[in-house]
Amino acid sequence: MAEHVVNPTDWQYVYGQGGNSTKPGNQTTAFDNGQYSYGDKLDGSQVVQFDGVARPYIAQKNNLNRFYRTGGTFTNTMALNRIFEGGAVRLAASDLTNQSIVPNSGLNRQSFNLTAMFSPYKHLTIDARADYILEQAKNRPFLSDGPGNSNFNVMFLPTSLDVNTLKKATNPDGSEFSYSNNAYATNPWFAAEKFINNTNRDRLISSINARYTFDNGLFLQGRVGRDAYTDRYFAVVPTGTAYRPLGSITDQSTRFTDINVDGLAGIVIKASADLTITPNVGASYRRTKTDQTTNTGSTFAVPYVYNIGNAINKSVGLNPSDLEVQSVYGNIELAYAGYLYLNGSLRNDWFSSLATYGKSNKLDVLYPSVSGSFVFSQMLHQSWLNFGKIRAGYAEVGQATSPYQTLLSYALYSPTLNGRPLGSISNTSVPNDALQASKASEVEVGTEMKLFNSRVSVDVSWYLKKSHNEIVSAPASISSGYTGAVLNVGELQNKGVEALVSVIPFRTREFSWTSSVNGSVNSNKVVALAAGQSSLSIGTSRSGNGFTQNIVGYAAAQVVAFDYKYDAGGKIVLDGSGVPVQGDLKPFGSAYAKWIAGWNNEFTYKRFNLSFLIDGKWGGKIFSATDFYGYLFGLHKATLAGRTGSFGTGLNAQTYYSSVANNISKLFVQDASFIKFRQIVVGYSFPAKLFGNVVKGATLSLVARNLFTLMKKTDNIDPEANYTANAQGLELGGVPPTRTFGANLSFKL
Amino acid sequence: MKKIFYEACVSMLMAALLTGCTKKFADINTNPAGYSQANFQPNYILTTVQQAYTGSTDFSYDTWRANLIYCSTMMQGFSTVIGYWVGDKYILNPNYTAAYWGFGSSQGPPLGNGGDGAYPEQVKPVVDLIAFTKNMPQYKNLYQIARLMRALIMERITDLYGDCPYSQAGLGYYDKTFFPQYDKQQDIYTDLLKEIEDATGKLDPNGDQPSGDVFYNGNTAQWQRFGYTLMLRVAMRLVKVDPTTAQTYAQKAAGKTFANNGDNAFVRADNTGGRVTINRNSQILDGDGGSENIYTKWSKTFIDMLKAESDPRLAKIAITHPTWDASKNPTGGNADTAVQKGMPNGHDLSGIAGQDISTVPGYTSIADYSSPSQYLTKRDGVTFILTYAESELLLAEAAQRWGIGGTAAQHYHDGVKAAITYLGQYDPGAAISDGDAETWLTAHPYNAADGLNQINTQYWMHTNTMLDFYESWSNWRRSGFPALVPVVFPNNNTNGTIPRRFPYPVGEANTNPVNYKAAHDAVPGGDNLTGRVWWDK
Repeated sequence: MAEHVVNPTDWQYVYGQGGNSTKPGNQTTAFDNGQYSYGDKLDGSQVVQFDGVARPYIAQKNNLNRFYRTGGTFTNTMALNRIFEGGAVRLAASDLTNQSIVPNSGLNRQSFNLTAMFSPYKHLTIDARADYILEQAKNRPFLSDGPGNSNFNVMFLPTSLDVNTLKKATNPDGSEFSYSNNAYATNPWFAAEKFINNTNRDRLISSINARYTFDNGLFLQGRVGRDAYTDRYFAVVPTGTAYRPLGSITDQSTRFTDINVDGLAGIVIKASADLTITPNVGASYRRTKTDQTTNTGSTFAVPYVYNIGNAINKSVGLNPSDLEVQSVYGNIELAYAGYLYLNGSLRNDWFSSLATYGKSNKLDVLYPSVSGSFVFSQMLHQSWLNFGKIRAGYAEVGQATSPYQTLLSYALYSPTLNGRPLGSISNTSVPNDALQASKASEVEVGTEMKLFNSRVSVDVSWYLKKSHNEIVSAPASISSGYTGAVLNVGELQNKGVEALVSVIPFRTREFSWTSSVNGSVNSNKVVALAAGQSSLSIGTSRSGNGFTQNIVGYAAAQVVAFDYKYDAGGKIVLDGSGVPVQGDLKPFGSAYAKWIAGWNNEFTYKRFNLSFLIDGKWGGKIFSATDFYGYLFGLHKATLAGRTGSFGTGLNAQTYYSSVANNISKLFVQDASFIKFRQIVVGYSFPAKLFGNVVKGATLSLVARNLFTLMKKTDNIDPEANYTANAQGLELGGVPPTRTFGANLSFKL
Repeated sequence: MKKIFYEACVSMLMAALLTGCTKKFADINTNPAGYSQANFQPNYILTTVQQAYTGSTDFSYDTWRANLIYCSTMMQGFSTVIGYWVGDKYILNPNYTAAYWGFGSSQGPPLGNGGDGAYPEQVKPVVDLIAFTKNMPQYKNLYQIARLMRALIMERITDLYGDCPYSQAGLGYYDKTFFPQYDKQQDIYTDLLKEIEDATGKLDPNGDQPSGDVFYNGNTAQWQRFGYTLMLRVAMRLVKVDPTTAQTYAQKAAGKTFANNGDNAFVRADNTGGRVTINRNSQILDGDGGSENIYTKWSKTFIDMLKAESDPRLAKIAITHPTWDASKNPTGGNADTAVQKGMPNGHDLSGIAGQDISTVPGYTSIADYSSPSQYLTKRDGVTFILTYAESELLLAEAAQRWGIGGTAAQHYHDGVKAAITYLGQYDPGAAISDGDAETWLTAHPYNAADGLNQINTQYWMHTNTMLDFYESWSNWRRSGFPALVPVVFPNNNTNGTIPRRFPYPVGEANTNPVNYKAAHDAVPGGDNLTGRVWWDK
């Protein structure tokens, strides 16, 4: 699998690096304006750069391609299995080597899986499995803003600076080869090659499941499962870094265990020839613990030697976590004549994370579910209807929260002030000793049909989901002392339709074409928030003036930003210096797409197959901090207007556009709708006789992903960009989008 | 069927037994690496509060942006040409002006600090300390000291921003107030004076001597004098807007304020704790975050005044061609007063004639401009909080204005003398003898006709040497002295005037929308650099 960067930007390349609409006249001026493209018109003349060397003042449009390399992933998997009288064993091993497009970054993973199923005695079956996964992530790329983040700094290099000019990374004395006075704008090569940001994980997931079935259909089942890993996170800000010349280090060890024990008793009762009733009851215990020790240090006693012992200043922090959940549950299933099914369940959970000393809170939650399905095709017996089923269900799920959120807790900073301990509150969110378990409910109605010789298949469902009293850290004003407050918050509602329609327009012995469309429309709404609140902040852009919020009555995760201020006549208000004044904070739409659709076509001809997928999303919004910085640094095309003139009371373009960017953040709210040509696959399966039947089969397929974008509305970012999955609607400084090409070869022996 | 029923019952019983085990849940849900109020020592919080007032544990976030980038250059104490030091260019960088107020983070101690800036790092712990110790007789002095610390902390926040969360600030836990209202600055000042008077009066010499106190090691007599000195400073802020109240409280404080430099409150930093305990101003001025060590200079305005009067402080606070050792400890430079030269404010490295520093008449090299001396930028150096020199100069003004609390001339003499001799508290190398101070004062006596100018110009010089530029700015705004000439920088957001106030952080529009909007709309002159706080009418 080979990966290539795709440049999402459309920066201006009219003006070059510099400030005040002038070419830097000397090294000092060039360095002071190192990050800015508010210079003069690019005219090819020789202009001094940050390092004192004069180079042609020309556009450098290929910095992304020069910096990012071809990434690649190589996976080898082998599986062996044997089925024997009374059991089966399977062993699989897999090795993955990934080279990121970011230089000096990648991931290796070795995984082993052993599963065994056998029956040592009559009535008793044992199912045991173990997955052992070793993972080494080298220099995971940074996100967001500049320090140590090569992605940010390549993206925002001034228009006339060639990234390869920075390639030597260090000065002769070992310090960072910086290109600007902003120490936090790390040289991207220095960030990639000298910073360390590694995570190693050893993980073992194991389980044993024993089931004893009596002759009368009664069964007893016991299960023990354990998921455990140790992580070692090792990060170094190296000696010579501009923003931390003496360096620092983080060495963190995390030990995680999750133990799950449950028992289940049930029976299969044949009540009549047509009716089968299966009741069961069970109980479970789950304990999830984390022990984390973080050693941090700064100022290396001997430069360039990176271990915690070499740090002159050392700190240690402990970060434990412990959660126990106990449950009892019962379930009953009715099956009638193979076409009518009914299922009902009831479950009660007890959560340790709701408990507080001295409080007799309700620690548990009881929740039911009921569902049924009816295969109506068995009643209708129509030739055009091969299969038809309707289903309906209602389910509730109880939820609690992570531990240690009910009590105010104090901690000491690791260092002392000349021997005096430094104590402080460790909670960043206001604790809450009155937390209750929350409930989420879902109603779903759906149908599944195969028509006309199974050449048309349809699967449609409608759902209504509600979450109620969910426990979240609801943001608070920092003037309360806290970042948020742990609260049972309001009600959120999602409803929508999901559909998958698949058609086979042609089907002959040698050729077939299958075309399928899947789509969904979802509308969500914040019905209520915690008492007295009409909006709840979710995320803040690194730009500081774009946010996502849940607002009562609106769809979830509104992208909110500052509008202009308008006078009574609707005119934009300017301040004394001629800059538009910041108006109200307004919502501009949900960060979540309302419509999602994909169209897949698959063709097979003899031993060849070809498929391609086009997909898209519509109706979501994104706050582009990339555009915000585009204004600040003079990269955005909107900053071209009036470049060489002055604004208001004599502001230059740089100050004017920076002020505009700071005040009027709605300029950076964009429509994240897109249509992408997502994937194309070509495959061929070799006949076994080609290999003299030694090999039972072999297939080769070639895959290309993200080939091109058919439609997008964002100007300088990928519409699918984001910081992390839970910060939908905000983006900045991530690894740019990529196009991948791959081949997959598999043999069956 | 019977057997089935039996089995089912056994299972149910097992389940019931299992659920009998929730007794240990509270234990499981208590963080073993933390402390509760039942077993924690509140003195440890006082130490944190006192240190946090000197700046953020997160790389001097607030000190760098508010005290240095804005206040020091607006007040022409420092000058620099670093592009992002926009203070004396009168350009608004809303992220910088928001820094002192602060923002939250998701990581609390020991790994994080719960947020950067005054509300998360100062207000939160001090409000907690007050609530923690309120009804505990064994901590009764600690409680009163915490109230005084809160007044000290809140005074600076309101001086920078005007109306701000005060009565409900920091009470997220105790009152479940997540969206504090912004109190009127007038109400804040009224309450500050009341709080200071009450807490100072209730300090008990026979009570506890708080061990966490790094100012005075728990000495209540010194804390009483601290209380009255703070009262005096708060009162004198009101001379423009409410001279009656100012006089009333100045009268109450007179005679009970600091007695000598031995009463100076300061925090001594500790370089062994890295960024958590290092001196906040020093790590920036020593260039840990960029090229501040090369480009941050004393202002021409300030150095010219020292030189014009042959001020003995010049030899101790200024050096040219500064040097640092391999661990970036400042090692000195050329302290010869004859070569000292301040950098004019309002210049840059743009290359534009008249605007670029190198095109200013008399320019020789950056290194030839005076830097703060190695005594002021020690990594384990002291940060002054409140000093005897300030209190004497404030008393001089009270005497000059209202004829209360002794003679203006005597207080002026004592204040300036203290402002000269206190430098020895930075480092023995910076000490100036009483004799030298007296000699200079004899040559430069108090002149009542120019009294307010003289007093407040000395106050400005003193707070500049303290590197407390917050205080330089506040006192300049309320007194109008010294008469600073605004820089002429064509490209600014204030129409060429020296800023009067920091705008509110726009993040508050997101997390505290209703209260933010009310306060934002109510700032006289607009919520920008030129709007004004209440006492700065």
